[in-house]
Amino acid sequence: MEQWVVVTIVISLYLALTLTIGLMAGRRSTDSVTGYVAADRSFGLVVMYFVTGASVFSAFAFLGGPGWAYSRGAAAFYILAYGALGMAPFYWVGPKIAKMGRRHGFVTQAQLITGRFPSRGLSALIAALSLVAFIPYVTIQMRGAGIVIEAVTDGHVPLWLGALVAYGIVIIYVLAAGAMAVGWTNTFQGAFMIVIAWTLGLYLPNRLYGGVGPMFEQIAAARPELLVPPGLDAAGGTWTWGAFSTFILVSAVGLMMWPHLFMKAFTAKDDQTLRRTVILFPTFQLFLIPVFLIGFSGVLFAGTPPSSDFILPFMILETDLPALVVGLFCAGALSASMSTGDALLHASASVVVEDGVAKFVELDEQRQRRLMQLLVLLTGATAYWFALDPDSSLVLLLASAYGIIAQFAPPVVSALYWRRATTPGVLAGLIAGTATAFFFWQMPALKPFDMHEGVLGLLVHIPVLVSVSLMTPEQDAAHVRGFIE
Amino acid sequence: MSLRTARALTGTYFTLALLAVTWPGLLPFARIRPFILGLPFSMAWIAAWIAGSIVVLYLLDLVERRYRVDEDESEARVRATPPAGSHPSGPATGTDQGGHS
Repeated sequence: MEQWVVVTIVISLYLALTLTIGLMAGRRSTDSVTGYVAADRSFGLVVMYFVTGASVFSAFAFLGGPGWAYSRGAAAFYILAYGALGMAPFYWVGPKIAKMGRRHGFVTQAQLITGRFPSRGLSALIAALSLVAFIPYVTIQMRGAGIVIEAVTDGHVPLWLGALVAYGIVIIYVLAAGAMAVGWTNTFQGAFMIVIAWTLGLYLPNRLYGGVGPMFEQIAAARPELLVPPGLDAAGGTWTWGAFSTFILVSAVGLMMWPHLFMKAFTAKDDQTLRRTVILFPTFQLFLIPVFLIGFSGVLFAGTPPSSDFILPFMILETDLPALVVGLFCAGALSASMSTGDALLHASASVVVEDGVAKFVELDEQRQRRLMQLLVLLTGATAYWFALDPDSSLVLLLASAYGIIAQFAPPVVSALYWRRATTPGVLAGLIAGTATAFFFWQMPALKPFDMHEGVLGLLVHIPVLVSVSLMTPEQDAAHVRGFIE
Repeated sequence: MSLRTARALTGTYFTLALLAVTWPGLLPFARIRPFILGLPFSMAWIAAWIAGSIVVLYLLDLVERRYRVDEDESEARVRATPPAGSHPSGPATGTDQGGHS
């Protein structure tokens, strides 16, 4: 049998298994909005661990991570550095969010913020910003899935078809079962991608160079500039320390502010589950080490992939692995893509309906759930349309999506910890911060010290939030007590 | 160890970790040799701070759990006597009980 046929069979089996798990999980969920959005707040430690890990590590980490290590060397270490830093505060913040969720019935991030700072405009603004950040993110996941399938089947399954089938399946189980399906499929996909990454990450250096140490010895001799932070920029020159450091900072601040990750706090069964997830999360983070090893193994390899993002499928195909193994690796990459893509689609629909539409139109539970399902379909279709268009500006859009998402941190922290914060202050801060981030995204030459636009946004956001809050009348003490004891 | 000390130490660790992986804290360690477990020094340095965070968070949890027993009891007492004049959007009692078991 030809290699691409075997690969296609392995991928099909993997997709069928994912679909089965997703649909079976849905039968455990109730028909309510809390059931669809927050899985009836029922997730235990194993599911929470993999949901968090698999949602964080996407096609960007699985394909982009090796791509960065391959083309930009130590610059990729920023991806390794921020995760644990960003997750740690959640040891305290996570249970607090969950408690507010149980007390006030919140299932989204904007509900928490506007619960403390009542404003329909603020709610709609958060929903709109979330969607703007989500669409390019979903698009990247779909393209990632399509790229991998097209590469390993020698083009017999083209990008449009691969992405369509993989995401058709994602949409079916997200529509049918919501958060419960996302949770259980991510558990399967998360475990799968860890095993694949470690296997391949240790195999390739051994096969090609005789070990991880010998591989780096050879790179250190031939291209030492790749192994010293801050690494290289996209053009091949030395990256700036300002960019390296602020990429870490904005990603650490933004990480848990992604609505699809933030909302996970509402899905946990109890507070200790959340805390244990935070403690164990860095073990998932270390999975980036083999991911980088895959990229580094390509540095001194004869031949170049069509683009650095293709380095993973390229190395798999160039090293003459058996077809069955190629199929499994491909399924690992699909796991990374789909486990983030499903969480994103699910969260964007939940956020738009709960925080956008439902604030302005009266809807019963049944209608809300229906509308969310319709929006999953619409968001998926929009992202798919973008995914077919090889427009590179989307990658830029994703990089700055973190700049938008990081602006959610000051409102969340104020809602939970600062009594004196007011609605006008939070609204003004969010607008000022987002506008600043957008301005510097458009005018990269003006960025001081080459700092990430999200950090520059925060530097404007926080003073505006504080000063406008202090200038406006403080909130009713009884209202504030509902959020800060 | 008191809860306050444990939290302060954890905060210190993560502040140091942030400094250690960004400018200027990373400068002295942005080097290739010595190799650690086959990895270039800077990569192993960053990975070590991540591995260390698992230990720090685990130790913090040991202390937090010891104190949380008392806190849960006091919270249970608070819930038994509803505060007067609770705000419409924030009933401090009733809906709060669902998640605790």
